[in-house]
Amino acid sequence: MAEIGSFALLLALALSVYTFLAGIVALVFQKQTFVPATEPGSKTARRNQVADVGSGSSWAALLRRGSERIGETARRAGIATFAAVFLAAVVLVLCAFRDDFTIAYIFHHSNRDLPAPYKFATLWSGQEGSLLFWSLLLAAYGFVLRLRYKTDPRLFAYASVVLAGVQIFFLLLVNFAANPFGILEGALRPDGSGLNPLLQYPEMVIHPPMLYLGYVGFTVPFAFALGALIMKYPGEKWIHITRRWTMVTWAFLTCGVFLGAHWAYSVLGWGGYWGWDPVENASLMPWLTGTAFLHSVMMQEKRGMLKMWNMWLVFATFWLAILGTFLTRSGIISSVHAFAQSSIGSWFAWFLAISFVVFVFFFFKNKSHLASEHKLESLVSRESSFLFNNLLFVLLCFTVLWGTWFPKISELVQGNKVTVGGPFYNRVAIPVALLLLILTAVGPLLAWRKTSLESLKRNFLWPTVGAIAIAMFLMITPQRWGSPFGLRPWQDISYFYSLMAIGLSVLVTLTVASEFYRGGRVISKHTGQGMFASMVQLTHRNTRRYGGYIVHFGVVVVIIGFAGAAFNQDKEQEMANGDKLTIGSYTLICRSYTDDDAPNYASEWALLDVYKGGKQIDTMTPVRRFYKASQQTSTMPDIRSTLNEDLYLVFEGLNQDNGHPIIKAHLNPLVMWIWLGVWIILGGTVLALVPNAPAPVRVPAPARLEHVQTSPVATGD
Amino acid sequence: MMWLILCLALAVASFFYVFYLPGRLFLGPEKTRAGYLRERKDAVYENLRDLNFEYKAGKVPDSDYTSLKSSLQDEAATILAEIARLENNSGPQKGTRS
Repeated sequence: MAEIGSFALLLALALSVYTFLAGIVALVFQKQTFVPATEPGSKTARRNQVADVGSGSSWAALLRRGSERIGETARRAGIATFAAVFLAAVVLVLCAFRDDFTIAYIFHHSNRDLPAPYKFATLWSGQEGSLLFWSLLLAAYGFVLRLRYKTDPRLFAYASVVLAGVQIFFLLLVNFAANPFGILEGALRPDGSGLNPLLQYPEMVIHPPMLYLGYVGFTVPFAFALGALIMKYPGEKWIHITRRWTMVTWAFLTCGVFLGAHWAYSVLGWGGYWGWDPVENASLMPWLTGTAFLHSVMMQEKRGMLKMWNMWLVFATFWLAILGTFLTRSGIISSVHAFAQSSIGSWFAWFLAISFVVFVFFFFKNKSHLASEHKLESLVSRESSFLFNNLLFVLLCFTVLWGTWFPKISELVQGNKVTVGGPFYNRVAIPVALLLLILTAVGPLLAWRKTSLESLKRNFLWPTVGAIAIAMFLMITPQRWGSPFGLRPWQDISYFYSLMAIGLSVLVTLTVASEFYRGGRVISKHTGQGMFASMVQLTHRNTRRYGGYIVHFGVVVVIIGFAGAAFNQDKEQEMANGDKLTIGSYTLICRSYTDDDAPNYASEWALLDVYKGGKQIDTMTPVRRFYKASQQTSTMPDIRSTLNEDLYLVFEGLNQDNGHPIIKAHLNPLVMWIWLGVWIILGGTVLALVPNAPAPVRVPAPARLEHVQTSPVATGD
Repeated sequence: MMWLILCLALAVASFFYVFYLPGRLFLGPEKTRAGYLRERKDAVYENLRDLNFEYKAGKVPDSDYTSLKSSLQDEAATILAEIARLENNSGPQKGTRS
């Protein structure tokens, strides 16, 4: 089996190289024989035809036809690459299910008693497999792209070449630096070393694929952007083509980031969901630039502005995604999530450097093509709100990048490693997040080009009054009502931030609601439908905009969940049978503690009755497991989630002297809002992907043509 | 031996798929300046539609609406004029070449 996998990977590499080289040859010859973009049938075109006939044009025609056919073989080789990589991945999964421990990768990441879903997840559980998985996803994206080439064959051909370049790198890695089909030397092993216990959790089966779909997916908009830059693509249609790719990719990355946070919360047993760990940061950075790109690209579509900025943003997103894979896979920076340590770092460093040089070269070569068509007319406009939004996202991304690499930088400069923790990131991230919330509220209500004072008053008065009223209410209510009531900002800076976050979240919610209400009212007036039906119709007419508003609302819900962290409590106690632990309004009584044995792991756990207001409401069982194959221990916290708060219990271990379990209890308010918010974000994104219903609104064509000077409007060369 | 045959079959199938091409290839229309301008025109029209809708929704005051509409119409008129000029000499476009 391993031989077939290895051969499939070599074949995929050969096909990718062919896609890349033949694609370049085809594009170069097509460019040389390209007749400038004149209107078919125009005088210039006819002149070109005449000139062709008189100067041995049959050679040019032959060359052109030949290059077109070479281009088609390149496209087909790209499609075949997917089939070959897919075969390799299938072979690796089959080997995992067949417990083929002659393959080193399977031996190190699986064992006979590993449950089937984790055996399937072996594909991305280790370095070699996850690089193969990266290649597979990239090949799958390439497969779809090459099948859909009829949308714009020339642009797709350029994007296909860029994609093939990236594919070659990953296939070189899996063929020569991290081959998943390497054979284990020595005697045949009866059982494998098992999967890392931290990864034996249901979400780990879907978290890496989601994250990777996000990471890999950003290669597609980058490939189109670079292709459009290289060929000096006229207009912004490439953005329209990649819009869905970008949104889908962004949704996968969002899903991956939050699944990672949920996994950290449910498995690592420290009571938190985000620890500013380098690998968490690695997934956040492309998300930040990708989110900035999703916003600023609208300025390019609508107003032909920020073309250079967008080019850099999409490149940065792609580059940071590769950097993220590098961080996760190379073990260059210590992290609880870095499940691999290896020497592939230098490969990545070279690839990052080469891709940077290639991008910078084409950027400066064709910079003139990216000239802006309009200028910023006013600081109070939709454009400027997008601009500030982008600057804040980039500032946050830079802070995270700096903090992530600081241990390495300090080691290089001072000789000793200095790590930065949560307080460093929070100092920047919290104020920036609050400013972004303000822009989320303000942006959609500002007009393109400029917004007058009257317009500001008209749109912001009531939402602002509502937000201030709710913030005041939260401030004056008694603290005994529980979180988030009784928020006294003068008592603690974290209360101030929480109050601001909730107040601004209310502002965003009211502005989003007013957008739906006002739009619905217009449709209701014209059609006579009820308000709800009108709002549904409104959303269907412009799914991108109103889906986007729902995404904003989801973000608000997530932020409210984050704001709850200001009220977190925790307590640790040794608990013999019948002992009590009180935290917040909960009382825990230890009923018993015991142990158990399963084929894959042995476990010890405590049985705790949970009381609230004198009544028993639940029984919870935090667990500690010992995985036999890997000889490693892992905790499995028990979490009781409600909209109001999470009761989070961890079995820390047994007291060595008396054998009593040590229980750590956390009370984390509003955490469920985070996971709910993510569902809303994903729902909004899916809605934004739905095609618009045809708009019956008619705009009469301007009737002033004869008075206007007919100068060119933009660089559509 | 079995794996060798399978690998060989895989290589032959790939080779056949990549190099056995149909007689006619789809190359699509070449993008022209007029095509680009038509896209710009659509974008400006969409901006006009959005502005109109926001005005009807009561988001944009009268004075802002008039000036924004006028500048968008100027932009649309400029684009339409150039399209008209380019189309004076043009004929139908072809989509497929052999």
